[in-house]
Amino acid sequence: MIEQLTKVLRAYKSDDTLQISETTTFTELGLDSLDTVQLLMELEDEFGVTIEVSNAMTDIGALMAVIEAAKK
Amino acid sequence: MKTILCDALGIKFPIFQGGMAWISDASLAAAVSNAGGLGIIAAGNAPADFLLREIRKIKSMTDKPFGVNIMLMSPYAEEVAQVIADEKVKIIVTGAGNPAKYMKMWTEYGAKVIPVVASVALAKLMARSGAFAVISEGGEAGGHVGDITTMALVPQVCDAVNIPVIAAGGIADGRGIAAALMLGASGVQVGTRFLVATECNVHENYKSMVLKAKDIDTVSTGKRLGHPVRAIKNNFVREFSSKEYDNSVSDSELEKFGEGRLKLAATDGDTKEGCFLSGQIAGLVNREQTAKEIIEEMFSQAKEILGKAGSFYE
Repeated sequence: MIEQLTKVLRAYKSDDTLQISETTTFTELGLDSLDTVQLLMELEDEFGVTIEVSNAMTDIGALMAVIEAAKK
Repeated sequence: MKTILCDALGIKFPIFQGGMAWISDASLAAAVSNAGGLGIIAAGNAPADFLLREIRKIKSMTDKPFGVNIMLMSPYAEEVAQVIADEKVKIIVTGAGNPAKYMKMWTEYGAKVIPVVASVALAKLMARSGAFAVISEGGEAGGHVGDITTMALVPQVCDAVNIPVIAAGGIADGRGIAAALMLGASGVQVGTRFLVATECNVHENYKSMVLKAKDIDTVSTGKRLGHPVRAIKNNFVREFSSKEYDNSVSDSELEKFGEGRLKLAATDGDTKEGCFLSGQIAGLVNREQTAKEIIEEMFSQAKEILGKAGSFYE
């Protein structure tokens, strides 16, 4: 899944060399709250799921867990 | 002048009075509601007992609908959300964040939740989460703002969702209302002009700052911290701005420097060190009037202009 996320984030940030890991935070990626919502909508399209937005979601690891849960 | 918002919310005019922290209390909100608009009490950054007091007070001042604005970034958001539910407030406006986690608690007893949104994606998400309507607020507004202007944001949000859209940011007279309706909105939210209403208890110095402000007198600062606000330029705003661009000042130092400034403006009237939040439209706001006069004047002007719309072109 991390490859897919990397792809979406690279497109979103227009940065072909962007690297992420589970511990990368949204703040480190320079994503504010509006970016986060925008990104979630794009991830929903990419993964074909409906993501429940939560304020606790602040890093890639948490995001992956939410997408994983939504797939089931 | 009625739109679909009026019957749904039980109001005479499709106008919301913006929930301005430390400013929109029961006195202002009741005056607006009694005049036929939707008065809104702002919970701001205050503990929940403040809100509880104001809710009880407004219930004794009007039998018309009113709303509460919850600022989701507030350290007291959790308890404020609970007081709103306990008091069964029927119209809830949310700002500065995503209200998804409280949605169920509020809609369960029939409340109508109306989030302030600054992007199309957020508007869509809110519509999906059960929002009754969204307030599409452009960066011309005072207080917490996004980048997109009202002119660009409102039609895009209207195209994206099939719930009512209320336009906010840069609206202070009938022309603003008429324009908002043309962009697809079914109502407006107005903050700055109501700030100078007779019934508004904000410090006199705050009112005179707004009344004196020209078009170029407000500026948005704090983008570095992720939550920019628009305020009238003064000593504090200039200092904050220079610290914002100073790398030797840490984010937490900058955050700390801004703390408590709004209260200093709204209750103490400290013209040098307070933060006087205001929209860009302040330049158009030149007179203190009652809430009733403001609303009636705005709508009679809007009606007049819209009636003449056919003569604007050949």
